[in-house]
Amino acid sequence: MARYAMVIDLDRCTGCRACMMACKVENNTPQANFWMYVFRFEEGHYPNTHIWFMPRPCMHCDNPPCAKVCPVGARYKRVDGLVATDWDRCIGCRYCEVACPYGVNYFNWKKPSKNYYLDWQAKDVQEVTGGAVPPYRNPDLDQPYGAERRRTAGGGRLKGVIEKCTFCVHRVERGQKPACVQNCPLFALHFGDLDDPNSTVSQLLRRKPSFRLLEELGTEPRVYYVGGHPPSSESHQIEEVRVRV
Amino acid sequence: MRIKRRTFLKGSATAGGGLLASHFLSRQLETLVAQQSGSSPKEDWIPTTCWIGKQDCGMVARRIDGRVVNFYGHPDHPRNRGTLCPKGVAQIMALYDPNRVKTPLIRTNEKGIPGQWRQASWDEALTIVAQKIREVRERDPRLLVWQKGRSKAKPFYDEAFVKASGATKLTHGAFCSDAAYRASEYTIGLSGGLHPDFRYTQFVLAWGWNLTAAGGNRLCWITWPQQLIQAKERGMKLVAIDPRLRGAGHFADEWLPIRPATDLALALALCQQLIARDTIDRAYLSQYTNAPFLVGEDGFFLRHHGKELVWDMASNAPRPYDAPGIVPALEGEYLVDGRSAKPAFQLFREHVAQYTPEWAAEICGVPAEAIERLAQELGENARIGSTIVIDGIEVPYRPVAIMTYHVAQQELGFQAVRAMLLIMMLLGAIGAAGGQRIDLGPWKLHENFEKLDKIQIKDPPYNIYLKDSPYFPINSNSSAIVAKVMQNPDKYGVDYIPEVIIIHMCNPLAAFASTPDLFEGYKKFKFVVVIDAWLSTTADLFADVVLPAAVLEKYEGPAAASDQYLDATALRLPVMEPLFQSRGEIEIYLDLCEKAGILYGPGGYLDQVNKALHLSDEHRLPLDRKPTVREIFDRWAKSAGISEGVAYFEKYGVKVAGPIPPKKFYGYVTDPPFGGVRHRLYGESLLRYQRDMQQRGVDTSYWRDYTPFPTWRKPTMEESPPTYDLYLISYKLIEHKQSRSAQIPLLAELAPRAWLDINPRTARERGIQDGDEVWVESHNALTGETRRVRIVARYREGIRPDTVAIPHHFGEAVRHPWAAANGAAANSLFFTGEGYVANTSDQSFHVKVRVYK
Ligand code: SF4
Ligand code: SF4
Ligand code: SF4
Repeated sequence: MARYAMVIDLDRCTGCRACMMACKVENNTPQANFWMYVFRFEEGHYPNTHIWFMPRPCMHCDNPPCAKVCPVGARYKRVDGLVATDWDRCIGCRYCEVACPYGVNYFNWKKPSKNYYLDWQAKDVQEVTGGAVPPYRNPDLDQPYGAERRRTAGGGRLKGVIEKCTFCVHRVERGQKPACVQNCPLFALHFGDLDDPNSTVSQLLRRKPSFRLLEELGTEPRVYYVGGHPPSSESHQIEEVRVRV
Repeated sequence: MRIKRRTFLKGSATAGGGLLASHFLSRQLETLVAQQSGSSPKEDWIPTTCWIGKQDCGMVARRIDGRVVNFYGHPDHPRNRGTLCPKGVAQIMALYDPNRVKTPLIRTNEKGIPGQWRQASWDEALTIVAQKIREVRERDPRLLVWQKGRSKAKPFYDEAFVKASGATKLTHGAFCSDAAYRASEYTIGLSGGLHPDFRYTQFVLAWGWNLTAAGGNRLCWITWPQQLIQAKERGMKLVAIDPRLRGAGHFADEWLPIRPATDLALALALCQQLIARDTIDRAYLSQYTNAPFLVGEDGFFLRHHGKELVWDMASNAPRPYDAPGIVPALEGEYLVDGRSAKPAFQLFREHVAQYTPEWAAEICGVPAEAIERLAQELGENARIGSTIVIDGIEVPYRPVAIMTYHVAQQELGFQAVRAMLLIMMLLGAIGAAGGQRIDLGPWKLHENFEKLDKIQIKDPPYNIYLKDSPYFPINSNSSAIVAKVMQNPDKYGVDYIPEVIIIHMCNPLAAFASTPDLFEGYKKFKFVVVIDAWLSTTADLFADVVLPAAVLEKYEGPAAASDQYLDATALRLPVMEPLFQSRGEIEIYLDLCEKAGILYGPGGYLDQVNKALHLSDEHRLPLDRKPTVREIFDRWAKSAGISEGVAYFEKYGVKVAGPIPPKKFYGYVTDPPFGGVRHRLYGESLLRYQRDMQQRGVDTSYWRDYTPFPTWRKPTMEESPPTYDLYLISYKLIEHKQSRSAQIPLLAELAPRAWLDINPRTARERGIQDGDEVWVESHNALTGETRRVRIVARYREGIRPDTVAIPHHFGEAVRHPWAAANGAAANSLFFTGEGYVANTSDQSFHVKVRVYK
C-alpha cells in the first residue's frame, strides 16, 4: 500500500495561483471555497523586504484531529494516507472545521447548485450543458472510491456538509497526479509515495531540508515544504483573496 | 465506471517517477488521454490553444457528451508543458457565460451613454455594416478605420481585411511595450522587448515589473518563469530594478528600488561605468556596430561614395568601414580632408562621462555604490572574449542580459530601452550565448531596421495617427493620439475625420490611456462596429452594431509555439459549436466581405488571405468561392508541408519541428553574423529627424528626444507642483489579461477590483490605514488638469515610499454581475499627448499624484 504525500518546493513557487484554479475546476468546488489556497507573504520593512508564496492544501494528517472529532465517521483516514470526507454521511456538525488547526474545511452554507458564480439556468446554456451545474461538472466525482467504496471525491455536493481537499482521490486512483500538482507551471508541487524511495517526493525530501506546518501540534501532516521557512508573525499576507459570499 | 483494485495498485505504482519526467516532450498527449478516459463512453479530447493570454498555450479540452468539462495544459506544447496559468484554467467559465453577447445587437438610443439594444439577425446586422463600408469606401477609403487589440496567433485575417478594405489600421502596442520594440528594431534590427538566453545566462537584470508577474517579452506567464527557475537552480544571479519588488517576487537576489521613470539615467550611468572600467567588447564594437564610424562636427557620418568611413589604424587613414584588413579606431580624434572627426564610440565615451554613479544616484534614488557594484558584476559576468561550444559550434559567451518589457512605456521609453541595449552592446552580449535576446526563435532581421532609418518626413496632410509627420517620425500607432487628432485635426495637419470604425476584441475606452481623451475622440466616429464576446465599455458607449464573437468555439491560428529554443506551431480548434449565436471571426469577415463586395477576385479578401498566409500556388484558395474556415487552415497546413493538413492538428494540437540550431539562433554565428547589419550605437538618422522636425517648426517636446545617443532629461511630470508628491505607476496581474478576463467569475473572485499599493510609512503620514478608501489625484504638468479616482489603499513594504501603484484590467466589461463597477481604472488617471507620450507616440504610464482620504 502506498503512503501518499505532497511535497511543496517553496523555492519554485511564483504565487501564480494556477493550482487554486485547477483545483476549483477539477473538483467543482463552489464559490468562495478554496481547497488549495496560496498565501502571498511580505516580510521585513522597506527596502529590506522579502516576498514569498505558500500553497496550502489539506495536510492529510497522519494524526488528524478532524477525524477524531467526527461523530459519524464521515471524516476518516484511509490506509494510503488520504484524509477523506464521505459526504453521504456528513451531518454538518462542523466539529472537524473547529478541530482542524489549518483552516482547510469549507462548509456549504448555500445550496451548491445555487453557488457557482453565475446563474446557469439560461435555456441556451442548458441546451449545450444538458443542465449540468456548474456547466463543467466533472462526472468522475460521482464515483465511489477506495476499497471501502465511499463517495469522497469532489465538491459542491449538498447544502450543510463540509468539504475539503481530497488529494484528488478520483485522479490518484487512476494513477494521475492531483489536479493542482499536474497544473503547477513551475513544478513546485509534487505528489507520490513515501514508501517508494525513487518517488519524486522521497527524492526531494532526501535532497532538501523540509518542514511541516504547525509540526508542534503533533498532527503529523503528509504535506511537506522544502526550500523555505514556515510563516511567522512577521509574515504579512498581501493580495489575499477576499471572497464574495 | 468501477475502479478495480488492480487499477488502483497500478495507479500508485505509476505516481511519482523522475523529477519533472512527465513534463518532458514525448508525445504525452496520448498518455494523458489514455489515463483519464473511461468515465464515459462519450468522452473525447480536443487539442486547442488558450484564448485569453498572449502566448497561446496549448490546451486539451476534455469533453463528456460534447460538453467541455476541463482544459488541461497540452503536455507536448513547448510553451506550457502540460500546465496552464489561472486564466487558462478559468476560461472554461467564459465559454458558457450566459452574459456573453448572444446575438448581433443594434443600438436604439443615442451614443455616449449606456446603450440600449435590439437583437438582430446576422444577415440584418452584416448588411447594415457592409453598406456603411461600401458607402465610405466609395467616398474616401481613409474614412474607414479598423482596430484590434492584441491579435491572437498570426494576424493573417486581420491583414487580409485591412488590405482588402483599404482601412486604416489601429493597434494596441503603444499601450503595451512598443517603445521597446521600436528601440530594438532601430538599434539591433530585431523586433521585441528584451529577454535573456536563459539556458546559459548567469547574471540578469530584471528591469521593470515583468519577471514573474506579467509575462514579458512576447510570452505570457508560464514560459519565462519556467526558464527563470531553471536558471536560478543553475546558480544564475538576479537583480531586480523596479520601484516595486512584487514583479521579481521571491526570485530577486538583490532589489534596487529605482525611482519611476529614471531608468534612462541608471542605464547611462552603467554605460559610463563599463567604459570607465574598460569592461567593453572592442572586437564586437569594431566589427558589428557603427561604433568606429567617423562622425563629423555636424553630427553626421563621414561617407565616401555613400560608404561610411572609419579611421584605419594600420594605414593611419580614413577607409570605408568594410574595407578588408583594416584596424578601425574606436577612440581618438582625426583630421579627414582638413575637418575634425571622431569615431562614434569616442563621442559616446565623451557623452556618458557626465553620467557618473553619483549623478545617477541622485536622480534614481539608488546608491552610487550599488550602481558601481552592478557595473562591476556586469563586467565580470560578461566574460568578454570567452566562447563556449554548443552543438559543436563555437559561440561567443557573454552570460549577462536584461529582461524588460512594459516599463518601456514611459516618456523617455524609446531612449531608455536604447540605453539598455547599449549596455549590452558594450559588453558584446547581443546575440551571444547566455546573452541578450530580443525576438523569439531564430535570429531574424526585421524590416524596420532599414525602415526606421530611412523615414522621410512628409508635408501635410497626415493620416490620423500622424504617420510620417514631424510629430512622431518613428511612430507606434497610438489610439490616444488618434483621439487627440479627432478632436482637433487642423492642429496636426490632418484634413479629414474618419467616420466608420470596426473595433475587434479591443476596448480602447478602458484598456488604453487616457480615458477622457479617448471618450472625446471616439465620440467623433459616426458609425462604430464592435466585434466582441462581451459588451465592453467601448461598445456600451459608442457601438451602433455589436457582433458576437465566439471565444473557444472557433478556428484561429497559426500560432507560434516556440519557447525560444524549440520551433513549433499550433492551431486553435473549436472545442464545440459556437455558443448562442456567436461566430468565429474568420467566418464573420468572410460574410462581411461578401456583402461589402470585397471578398472575391484579385485584391479581394480571399486573395489577401492567400498572400498573408503565404499559401503555395497549389494550395491557394480559389478567388471565386467562399471557403469554410477549416478549409483555409487545411490549405495552410498542407502548404506548410504538413501533408495531413488540419487533421494533424486535430489529432496532435501542436507541431514541434525541433530545436533551433545555434547557427540560426545566436546572432554572432548566423550567416552572415547578425543578418549582415551594423548595430546602431550611434543613431545618425535620429539626428536627421530632429533637424527636419526643427525646420518644420514643431514644438520642442516632439524633437528633443531625437538624439543620436540616449540623453537624459527630467521627465515632464516632474514639473507638477510639489503637492503632487508621489509617482503613480501601473502594472498587470497574473489573474487577468487585458479586456479578456475581468468578467470571468473564477478570476474576478481572485482579483475582483483594483487597489492602491502604498508604502505603510507614506500611508501613515497621511493618516491612511490599510484598507482605507482614498482619493488618488493626478496632475498634468503642462495643462494643469487634474483627475481623481476613489480606491482602496493597501499597505505594501515592497514599494518605494514615494511611489504608489494600481493594477490594470478593471473597469472593462459592463453590466456583468462579476465585472460591473469593479473599480477605479488606472487609465483614467494617466494623461496623453505632450509630456505624457514618448517621441515614438508610445503612451507613458507615469504621472505625479497626491493621495488623501
Ligand atoms: S501553481 Fe505552482 S507556482 Fe503557482 S501558486 Fe501554485 S504552487 Fe505556486
Ligand atoms: S490535491 Fe486536489 S483537492 Fe487537494 S488541493 Fe490539490 S487539486 Fe485540490
Ligand atoms: S500563460 Fe497565457 S496563454 Fe498560457 S494559459 Fe495563461 S493566459 Fe493562456
